[in-house]
Amino acid sequence: MSNNSANILDIKNIEVRYDNVILALHDVSLKVPKGKVVALLGANGAGKSTTLKAVSTMLASERGKVTNGSIEYDGNTIDKQTPSQMVGLGMVQVLEGRRCFGHLTVEENIISGAYSRKLSKGDINQELEKIYTYFIRLKERRKSQAAFTSGGEQQMIAVARAMMAKPKMLLLDEPTMGLAPQLVAEIFNIVKELNTKEGVSILLAEQNTNVALKNSDYGYIIETGRVMLDGSAQSLLNDDKVKELYLGISKKGRKNFRDVLKEESLKKKIN
Amino acid sequence: MVDELLFFMEVLVGGLLAGTMYSLVALGFVLIFKASATFNFSQGAMVFFSVLAFCGFMQDFNIPFVLAFILAALLMVVVGLCTERFVLRPLMNASEDTVLMATIGLGYVLEGLAQAAWGVEVRRLDLGIGDFPVPWIADNLKLFISALDITAGLVAAIMIIGLFLLFKYTKIGLGLRAVADDAGAASSIGIPLKHIMLLVWSAAGVVALVAGCMWGARAGVQFALVDLALKALPVLIIGGFSSIPGAIIGGLIIGAVEKVLEVYIGPFFGGAIEGWAPYVLAIFFLLYRPEGLFGEKIIRRV
Repeated sequence: MSNNSANILDIKNIEVRYDNVILALHDVSLKVPKGKVVALLGANGAGKSTTLKAVSTMLASERGKVTNGSIEYDGNTIDKQTPSQMVGLGMVQVLEGRRCFGHLTVEENIISGAYSRKLSKGDINQELEKIYTYFIRLKERRKSQAAFTSGGEQQMIAVARAMMAKPKMLLLDEPTMGLAPQLVAEIFNIVKELNTKEGVSILLAEQNTNVALKNSDYGYIIETGRVMLDGSAQSLLNDDKVKELYLGISKKGRKNFRDVLKEESLKKKIN
Repeated sequence: MVDELLFFMEVLVGGLLAGTMYSLVALGFVLIFKASATFNFSQGAMVFFSVLAFCGFMQDFNIPFVLAFILAALLMVVVGLCTERFVLRPLMNASEDTVLMATIGLGYVLEGLAQAAWGVEVRRLDLGIGDFPVPWIADNLKLFISALDITAGLVAAIMIIGLFLLFKYTKIGLGLRAVADDAGAASSIGIPLKHIMLLVWSAAGVVALVAGCMWGARAGVQFALVDLALKALPVLIIGGFSSIPGAIIGGLIIGAVEKVLEVYIGPFFGGAIEGWAPYVLAIFFLLYRPEGLFGEKIIRRV
């Protein structure tokens, strides 16, 4: 991990502020090795999305700014690039909440992902066919208006659209938000497949700790803008604290977050 | 009885064709509204600016008609370029209201520039098409319809078809529709917003030039053209702010309704209801169908 060239993304101690005032990230460092899947875990408001947007430079459109630290991506220092320049460098973010183009058809949505590439009609069709081999469901619905497809399909559209840009690295922001368990599994299978067959490195923000870690190589847990814990996915899955706080499993049996909090406050009272 | 019907037809057709002139103005608004969700208050000024420049090229520099038109169109592309660079880009992350205010300012700048460069007097614009009834139609159908109205109808039809093809079948058209749906998502997949903005402002400028030529030929090229923008407002409310067919149909409706009402109901109000009847109609639309006839409904899955 110490060899820099092995990492496609290297974030060093970044601090992010919104509107020059609101401190969203205090100190986040993380690395994504080439060709690996890295999970970024944490609760609402922990700073997962902010971290991803700092990397993809989408922060600027929300009046956010990296005020300290550095981000290295594939030999480039990320600084004043625009999101479309980042797409040109092979980094594409799939935003939280799918964000499909509702009035466009499924196929138009996917084709729009190739906007930054100079492709002929024939090349686009070839790429489309390749994409459809991963997203079989979407091929059946290619002519439907995207807004009328299901949540799972919309998530697939968003990922397929990003893949049309031929990324070296994908940033996925909560791809399983609000989806039924089978769909969560289906989405992760596709993500895994894209990772192994297309060699795309993936940084994945998730609240669904269990599924995310099972499908990742490495994990980071952040809370209130700081990295609290990191390790290989396997070691995190076996970690007692992670089990108790994020997976709801304790040594004594299943437990939810509220029980943990209750226990903590009881302990405080006793002390 | 037949005379009555013929007269009604004449009023209606005249109104519909006059309506296409409103449609042309409204079209410019729709283009910009689609891409940036902003009502462009400077559209009226763009109409005035472009057609005054066109007249200026022809009358002050004796440049032939076609070349002057091309020059004026290019000038509008330059205006679009400058607007993108000096107004829109610095305000990229500002709220829609801020951009709205900026378009009001831009309007004043354009009005001022136009008058500084070309003077303030009313100019005559001769397109070689008279604003008088076409004899052939008057003889055969007994309808008195202005040649200029028919030309405006044809020009509007050509522009719609052109814009439709541009949006539906070109890459930049796809980009524009994507930006219209979700600008954030569009930029996340590498669609450069500035290219799209440049496209719509240039296209809106050229549309303004065409609308200006039609109105200028009818009413003279003068400062009052700026207020045309106000006539486009009820057209947009009826047709829908984000729909190109809506701008056309809205214009036709406004044109027909205002002429028919003027002729048949006007006398009861002492005439001149043309000026406010469209706004009354617009209020009804706002109450019962606020997205307009063709506006993009907010699609919600249930």
